[in-house]
Amino acid sequence: MSAPVKDRREKWEGPVPVPTGATVPFWAGTLEGDLRYQECECGNRQLYPRAICTSCGDEDPPFEVSEGVGTIYTYTVCHVPGEPGFGDRTPYVVGAIDLVEGPRLLALIDAEPEGLEIGASVAVTFWQISDVAAIPVFVPE
Amino acid sequence: MAEPIIAGVAESNLGETPDRNWLDNAAIATVRALEDAGCTLEDVDGVAVAGGDDYMPALVLSEYLDLEEPSFLEGTEIGGSSFEHFCGHVRDAMARGEADVVVVAYGSTRNTGPRDERSLEETHPIDGFVRPTGLFRPPGAYAMAARRHMHEYGTTGEQLAEIAVATREWAAMNPKAAHREPITVDDVLKSRKIAEPFTLLDCCLVSDGGGAVVLVSAEKAAELGVPEIAVAGVASTSTHRQDISEMPDMTTTGAAVTGPKAFEQAGITHDDVDVAEIYDSFTYTALVTLEDLGFCEKGEGGEFVSGGTTAPGGELPMNTQGAGSRIATPDTLASSSSSRPPDSSAASTRESARSTTPRSRSPTAPADSSPRVARSSSGGNHERTSERPP
Ligand SMILES: [Zn+2]
Repeated sequence: MSAPVKDRREKWEGPVPVPTGATVPFWAGTLEGDLRYQECECGNRQLYPRAICTSCGDEDPPFEVSEGVGTIYTYTVCHVPGEPGFGDRTPYVVGAIDLVEGPRLLALIDAEPEGLEIGASVAVTFWQISDVAAIPVFVPE
Repeated sequence: MAEPIIAGVAESNLGETPDRNWLDNAAIATVRALEDAGCTLEDVDGVAVAGGDDYMPALVLSEYLDLEEPSFLEGTEIGGSSFEHFCGHVRDAMARGEADVVVVAYGSTRNTGPRDERSLEETHPIDGFVRPTGLFRPPGAYAMAARRHMHEYGTTGEQLAEIAVATREWAAMNPKAAHREPITVDDVLKSRKIAEPFTLLDCCLVSDGGGAVVLVSAEKAAELGVPEIAVAGVASTSTHRQDISEMPDMTTTGAAVTGPKAFEQAGITHDDVDVAEIYDSFTYTALVTLEDLGFCEKGEGGEFVSGGTTAPGGELPMNTQGAGSRIATPDTLASSSSSRPPDSSAASTRESARSTTPRSRSPTAPADSSPRVARSSSGGNHERTSERPP
């Protein structure tokens, strides 16, 4: 996959991720439009990225690229901004997305709340919000 | 009998305490609770404290109270369930003869105190995934769980609102409650949206204040002549903390694990429970905990709470002091949406429950008496937010 990456650096006033340690390959991938998860040799797949496999304990499990599609496990419509820089954005939708590969990811859903439902298919896009990271944002398919 | 006896309970002033810090509030509550127990600071040989804004709260509070070589210290930080968790350790210490009078204390200035403005560099790597979503935590996180519960079990907003309505009926009898006027299901549904499906009245208050419980050994209780209200069962576990989306099943809490353990220790069944004091940081929290503790089948919490089950006169009086939705208590303070959570770097979602012995239940006390009854706390996902809560 390579999903669209929109440059939002000018407009973004919210928190930005700081790639460190095990998360560095994930954030590097986002700039290329890749949504990466860790898949250990033991078969365990995990997100967020960690220095160990939570199943077998192997260090630095390697990354795979997700297809970038999944379904909405649940979501909320935020009417109170939870972070600085989100005031002008309210209401906005945050969801937990079950990727087809298994891992679940908390992310913004870029859609009107009215049409959303649990179980709906979504696909990833990216908003580049700093020089070093683009955040995954899901849109209904 | 090694079960700690609850000899005294008290709160500091609640609401806004701009001239106090967390330590002041914890200390004031401690002294008042000791007075309630009929003893003094001289008697105290142990301190268990959480939720404060210090790195080493047990040491700091002991120092503040000018305790002389306390033999029991506890500061495990597991959010709102810390205090129940402490009770198990106090029990063990008392069984070993290490302590006779232990104060379990909490203090906070979340309402008027300064905010924590740590940058993402200084926090957990997972925050790089969670915070850029703008999720208002903890309400948004629990709201997502509530919506999933609605999806899986047909739970409705009206059913969640029933909990707020019933709790307000209890608060109406408590002179210390911040809000005492009656509310309806419709009022809850039509109040300001916070994080859907939650409205303002689904969420607990954020407050300054402190609370303390004095736990004493059976010998000391006999000496003090206090009613023998014992802590008969305690259990703790952890599911998740920093990111609720990591939970494999967002609709089941750790109370499903801890509830059976605490009931077994206490040697009671659900039929023995006359009153439940259940952590209600949100209406949904109380509902899901009732289910997970086994007061009803999984998924049937909505039906269970309908029709005033938990209200005065109901089948299972719950949160009889008005609870976190209507009055700030130590537990709910610890879990309130807050700009200054407990040090969150290492904490995980924990659940704990304790219940008293069947013989030691208190009446369904309204007004200002604190609960001395079966109690459960789900301390999950007390997350940091950088905005003021509603
Ligand atoms: Zn592995």
